[in-house]
Amino acid sequence: MSSVKTFFSRYWGIIGILVLWQAWVSISGLNAIVLPSPLSVVSDLAANPGIYASSAGKTFLVAVLGLTFGLLAGIVLALAAWTSRLLNGLLTPLGLIFSSIPVVALIPILARLLGYDIRTEIAIVAIAAFFPTFVFVGAGLQSLPAGSDDLFKVLGSSPWQRFLRLVMPAAVPNMMVALRLTAPEAVLAAILAELLMGTSGLGYMFREAAGRFAMERAFGTSIIATITAVIVFGLVMAAERRVDAHWK
Amino acid sequence: MILRSEAMHRLVLGAVGVGLFLFIWQLVGTYRLAGMTWPPLSDVLIFISDPARQTLFVRAMGASFTSVAIGYVLGIFCGVAVAMLGQVLPVARPGLDRLVAVIHAVPLVALAPIFMVLANRDLTPPAISALGVFYMIYVATTSGLKAATHSHRDVFSALGANAATRFFRLELPAALPALVSGMKLAIPVAFIGAIVGEWFGASRGLGLLMVSAMQNFQIPLLWSAVLIVTTASLALFGLMSLVERLIYGRFR
Repeated sequence: MSSVKTFFSRYWGIIGILVLWQAWVSISGLNAIVLPSPLSVVSDLAANPGIYASSAGKTFLVAVLGLTFGLLAGIVLALAAWTSRLLNGLLTPLGLIFSSIPVVALIPILARLLGYDIRTEIAIVAIAAFFPTFVFVGAGLQSLPAGSDDLFKVLGSSPWQRFLRLVMPAAVPNMMVALRLTAPEAVLAAILAELLMGTSGLGYMFREAAGRFAMERAFGTSIIATITAVIVFGLVMAAERRVDAHWK
Repeated sequence: MILRSEAMHRLVLGAVGVGLFLFIWQLVGTYRLAGMTWPPLSDVLIFISDPARQTLFVRAMGASFTSVAIGYVLGIFCGVAVAMLGQVLPVARPGLDRLVAVIHAVPLVALAPIFMVLANRDLTPPAISALGVFYMIYVATTSGLKAATHSHRDVFSALGANAATRFFRLELPAALPALVSGMKLAIPVAFIGAIVGEWFGASRGLGLLMVSAMQNFQIPLLWSAVLIVTTASLALFGLMSLVERLIYGRFR
């Protein structure tokens, strides 16, 4: 009984929305072209699992590959900037500026620059992840305890040891924070790129469905897109926990 | 004095970095190093300032910036209101948190069909914008409302303050720094929401201009629209950073 109560206290908002949605469709007698009921959306999902799964898989792949490349590029450039005061001073403000502009506005430009294909989609996600990673890892490297670098040198450590024992522990947890912050935006960027370029994946499916007013399909795509976003976010959280256990 | 020269040093280097970036943009455009789709910066600026296109840009800017403003203000208002509701009615709190988290997990695009059904197409941009801002502000306000410590609360109760006084004199001022940080981070979100909303068939706006320029190979127009959006977003972001610094100086 108490578990039912906890469940209800946690999920009353979500249940409420679903009930309102179904009630509104039933009572107002709206046409399915305007607003499909939750039940008809679920039945479309159950009837065409293959289409949904292949599109979601493709979007997932774009998001994960883009995040990986963006992360690697961000950490490499942050390390390069850390080795030189001049480079750091030149690049950090630019990184801050680029990490605070609305990245989705750049999608049309990148689509034209790089062409309409899957590599462009991956590049867009990578760029969305790159700038925050650069800023966060850079901040982590700046906050090394004063003189720790000198201490390592005095104690006779090799550059490789310094990198492994001093630089990486400072950089990696911050990189994971950047990853957690950019992961939801990465899925959004992937879907929007697919939508604008009309290639394949969830974004394309969405555009195609909305174009022919197949509202069950459009709502179904929304649900699958949400699940994809939640899975990517969950993976990132799990990765962050493992990395923190190892590096902190 | 040392500190000031350090800050000066950073400022100068940063300015040089931005200048270099603009210079490289110009260079790549002039010599067509990235192909025909990368125009020089000067071409884009001339394109924007051409009086013949003034009406086009002013109309689009008017539509988009109105959406951003409505979305931003509405999002802040709802975010603060719902966070306060959670504070006043602790029973509702866990359910509210889950609901807001689910709303946030839904990618903004996925919400478009709902708005297309519920409202007229020109209302989609401010609505999506408001939703993004709402999440940011809700999270910032709830974490800010936790900032008042137990001992402060005890002092207020011991001195006989009622719940309303405690809220306005203690919890709200304590939440202000977090709220302002949230308002700063919500600025790009408000722009993203408005642009994405316009991609779903609004009748005018900078987002619409971007998509049609992209599809019709109007390269200077495309870059101009993107430049206007990013510059506006950055300027407001900078302004909010200043406000944030003021508030942190006063309330923390």
